Amino acid sequence: MTAPLTTPTIDTEEHVAFDHPWKVIVWDDPINLMSYVAFVFRKVFGYSKDQAEQLMMQVHVEGRAVVSSGTREKAELDVFRLHEHGLWATLEQDQ
Amino acid sequence: MPAFFRRRFRWKNGQVVVELPDDEQDMLRHVLPQLRELVMGETDPALRRLSPPARPDDADAEAFYRQMITDELLASRLKAIEVVEEGIGGTVLDDAGVDSWMHSLNALRLVLGERLDVDVIGHDLLHDLDPDDDRVPIVALYEWLGWLLEQLVDAAMNSFDH
Repeated sequence: MTAPLTTPTIDTEEHVAFDHPWKVIVWDDPINLMSYVAFVFRKVFGYSKDQAEQLMMQVHVEGRAVVSSGTREKAELDVFRLHEHGLWATLEQDQ
Repeated sequence: MPAFFRRRFRWKNGQVVVELPDDEQDMLRHVLPQLRELVMGETDPALRRLSPPARPDDADAEAFYRQMITDELLASRLKAIEVVEEGIGGTVLDDAGVDSWMHSLNALRLVLGERLDVDVIGHDLLHDLDPDDDRVPIVALYEWLGWLLEQLVDAAMNSFDH
């Protein structure tokens, strides 16, 4: 009698999650003021004036922009802070 | 100079000074309790603007996120409304105070923007409304809140240089 062959199973999910960070996306909306959106980017993420205005313009022109990335926990916290400020933000895992 | 001609938010000695004319104070005292009632409820369509989905691609993840943040977001909004109500008569704001005023003024704009269907009709049509249209006073309120928020952003922007 021989022992059945077993193939070791490797749970790769952790690694995948690690390799593909989460992205925080802000979507364009016609209500939020442009100056306010740029201000929120500076305040929440510490971006420079130029970086914040560039991201705000990207949201405005392209309809969306990735404003931060990192672990899921960080992305969730960022989305929470953006929602507190009334911005339309979502998170998704980088593919 | 009478308060009406002054900026409502000014940067002074590292903080934001709030000074509103009496009628504007009254207007905020009138609308903030309505905002409080709205955020404490669960059915107003404007809540979708105040708490948009974080995970529109994944219903389970969205439900989980909601469960995690709903109480905290509500507490934050109620606190922000309270801070504004306490300072309507005139106050000086630190960073946290600026956040509270911004959150509340912008939340009011989002609610009115939703009522006016700004997402659908855009801003331009708002200015072409018939003078007798029921929405005209709401547009005026919406524009005034935007004007206040612009001034607050302008004043608070100084904090980045200090």
